[in-house]
Amino acid sequence: MIFLDNASTTKCSDSALKVLSAFSCENFYNPSAMYKNGATVKNEIENAREGILKLLKGDGGIVFTSGGTESNNLALFGAKKANGSRIIVSDLEHSAVYYPAKRLKELGYEVVFCPIDENGAVIFDEFKKLLTNKTALISVVHVSNETGAVNDIKKLCAEAKKINPNVIFHSDGTQAFGKIPINLRSLGVDMYSVSAHKVYSAKGTGALFVKKGIQLMPLLFGGGQESGVRSGTENVGGIMAFSCSAHETVALLKENAELASKLKSSILSQILEYSEIKILSPENGSPYILSLTSNAVRGEVMQHALESRGILIGTGSACASNKQTRRVPDALKLKGEYQYGIMRISFGAQNTIEEIGEFIKEFKSTYEELRKIKNG
Amino acid sequence: MDNTNCILLRFGELFLKGGNRAYFESVLIKNIKSALKGFKFKFVKSQGRYYIEEFPNEDLEEIISLLTKVFGLYSLSPAYKIKTDIEEIKKLAVKISPAEGKFRVTVNRADASVNMRSMDIARDIGAEMFMSSNRLTVDLFNYDFELSVDMRENGFSYVFYKKIACAGGLPYGTGGRAVLLLSGGIDSPVSAYQMAKRGVIIHAVHYHSFPYTSELALQKVHDIAKKLAPYIPDMRLTVVPFTDIQTEIHKNCPSDFMITIMRRFMMRIAERVAKENGAGALITGESLGQVASQTIESINCTNAVVSLPVFRPLIGMDKEDIIAIAKKIDTYEISIRPHQDCCTVFLPKNPVIHPKLKDAEVYESKLDITALEDSALQKS
Repeated sequence: MIFLDNASTTKCSDSALKVLSAFSCENFYNPSAMYKNGATVKNEIENAREGILKLLKGDGGIVFTSGGTESNNLALFGAKKANGSRIIVSDLEHSAVYYPAKRLKELGYEVVFCPIDENGAVIFDEFKKLLTNKTALISVVHVSNETGAVNDIKKLCAEAKKINPNVIFHSDGTQAFGKIPINLRSLGVDMYSVSAHKVYSAKGTGALFVKKGIQLMPLLFGGGQESGVRSGTENVGGIMAFSCSAHETVALLKENAELASKLKSSILSQILEYSEIKILSPENGSPYILSLTSNAVRGEVMQHALESRGILIGTGSACASNKQTRRVPDALKLKGEYQYGIMRISFGAQNTIEEIGEFIKEFKSTYEELRKIKNG
Repeated sequence: MDNTNCILLRFGELFLKGGNRAYFESVLIKNIKSALKGFKFKFVKSQGRYYIEEFPNEDLEEIISLLTKVFGLYSLSPAYKIKTDIEEIKKLAVKISPAEGKFRVTVNRADASVNMRSMDIARDIGAEMFMSSNRLTVDLFNYDFELSVDMRENGFSYVFYKKIACAGGLPYGTGGRAVLLLSGGIDSPVSAYQMAKRGVIIHAVHYHSFPYTSELALQKVHDIAKKLAPYIPDMRLTVVPFTDIQTEIHKNCPSDFMITIMRRFMMRIAERVAKENGAGALITGESLGQVASQTIESINCTNAVVSLPVFRPLIGMDKEDIIAIAKKIDTYEISIRPHQDCCTVFLPKNPVIHPKLKDAEVYESKLDITALEDSALQKS
C-alpha cells in the first residue's frame, strides 16, 4: 500500500508508540493525584509542554487538547470578544475553523470571510479592506490543508495589529507544524493550533499555543486541568507521544522537506503533460501537498480506482448532492467539472522516490483509461 | 421495580388462513425463537396466544423491542403471571395499575375450578382498584386503560394492562421468495420492509460501479442489511459489478437513454438472479413520478424486459410517507449518507422522461447484452 494522504493523517512512529504505551501501561497514573506517582507524571507533562513551546518558539502557554479541531474551537469560541464585534476568517479555512465561525455568526458576531487567490492563499489587499478597529478576532490558516498554500501570517498579523492593536490573531498551524519552520514570536500570532497525528503521533491529541496575556474562556468545565482552560484528565500517553514525535519531526524538518519537494516535483513534471489538469498548489507552497484538479475525471473516481491499485490519495470530495463539500471548489473559483476533479496528493517522511515512481505509472494509466470513458 | 415476569403475544391475520394455520404458526414460532436467540426464556403456546416466560427481568425491554419487529405478531403485553388467587390478583391489580384515569377490568376465566363468574371477578377487582385511589374512575366504554386478567386452566393467571403494537403482517418466510433491487437510497429498504411484512423472503441485488462508487457505498448497503435484520433475518445480498455495462451504454447509446437502458439491464440481471435462486418475483422501490425513470413510460420500458411479476410497494406513496417508514425502521440515516450510488455518476443532464420502448430497444441493440450480463453475473 502506497499512502499519499499524509495531510489527513500519518502513521504513528515506533518511538511515539513506545512512549504512548509506556505512559498508558507503566506510568499510567493520574497527573492530578496527590501521591508521588501522579506528581511524576504531572512533571513529565510539564516538561512536554515546555518542549513543545520551545519548538514553536512562542512566549506564552500551551493548552493540550484532543486535537486540531478542539484547538481551533477553543481559540474561536474561547477568545474574549465583545458582543457583535467583527471576526475575520479566510474563505479556505479548515472545517474546524470555518464552521465555528459560521456558528459565531449565528450567535450575533459580524463574521466576514476573506477571499483567497486561485492557489488558496489569502489575498492581502482584500484582507486589508476587511480590517476595522472593531475587529476582535482573526483566524487564518498557516498552511492550507487543501492546496498547501502558505499564508504570510507575519504580514497579515502585523497589518491587523496596525489597525487594531487589541485584535486577537489565531492561526491554524495543523499542516505547518513539523513541515515548515515556525517561529511564533516572529509571526506575532496570539494563538496557534497544532495536531499530533499529523506529525507521526497518535490521534486524539493536539495543542493550542496561547500568547502571554491572552485570556481564554474554557469550553469544557470540570476538574480545572490545563490551568482551568480545558478540564478533563490529561491524555498523558497522547501528550507524551506527541512531544516525542514533535521533537523528532522538527529535528528532521529540513531533510524531510527536501524529500517531499523532490517527490512533489517528480509528480508535477509528469502530469503537466495533461493540459486539462490544473495545478491548484502554488509553486512556493508546502512541499508536502500537491493539489490538482481535472475536468475529465472526477477526483473521487480517481481515488477509488487508485485504491484498487494499492495507492491511497485524498480528494476535494466535492459531491454534487452535498452542499457542504462545495465550499472549497467555490472558494477556489473552480467552474464546471473542475469542481469535482480535485485530487490531493500529500507526502510524509515515510514515502520514498520508488513509491512515487510507482504512483506516477499507476496514475497515468488509470487517468488515461478513465478519461477515455468520460470522453466516450 | 417492574417485576413483569412474562410477555403475552397476540397474532391476528393467521386466523384467516384456515387449513394453512398450522404452517403459518410453525413459521411464526420459529421466527419468534430465532429473534430471541441468545436470550434465556421459555416459550409457551396457549389457546390463540403465546407467552414468553422465565426470562431474566433485566432483559425485558430488549426482548420486547425485538418481538415488536417480528412480522405476524400484532401486539404484546408485558404481564404478571401469578397463582390464581382472587385476593392476590386484587392486590396485584392495585399495585401495577396507573393511579389515575378511567379504566375497566376484563376477566377471561378458562379455569373452571374458580367458583365465580368472570363478570363478578371483574367487578370485585374493579372495586378494589376504585377504592385504592380517588383519581380512578370506572368507564366500561371510554376507558384510558383496561386491566385484563387471563385465568388459565393450569392454575395460573396473567394480569396486564399495557398493550404494545407489533409489526403486524404475516410471518417472514410464508410469502415465497423475491429478488429486491437494493440501492443505497431511501426507497428500496422501505420496499424490502413492506414486502417482508407480507411474508416474502428477500434476496437483495446491489449494482456496484467501482471506481465510480466507493467501497463506502457498498458498506452502506451492508449497513442497511444489518438494520433490516430484525425484520429480515439473514438477508441474502448479491453484489453485481456494473461498471462495464455502464461504460458500454455510455459509449454506444444516446445519453438521455442512459438511465432507461441501465435500468433494463438491472431488471434483466435481477430476473436471472431470481430464477437461479428460485425466487418468483422482483421488488423495486419505484414510486410513480418520483424521478425520470419512474414515469409510466419509463416503467413500461424497464418492465418489458422481464417476465416475472414486479412488486412496487411504494408506487403510490409520497416521499414523505416513505421517509417516515425509513425512519421507523432506522435505515434513513444510512440512506442519506453522501456516497454516490451507481445511478449518479453517469447521470445525463436531461434524462428522457417519456421514453418509447421501441427507441430503447433500437439503442440497446448495439450492445451485446447477454455477454455483458454473463460477465457481470460471473463476477458477482
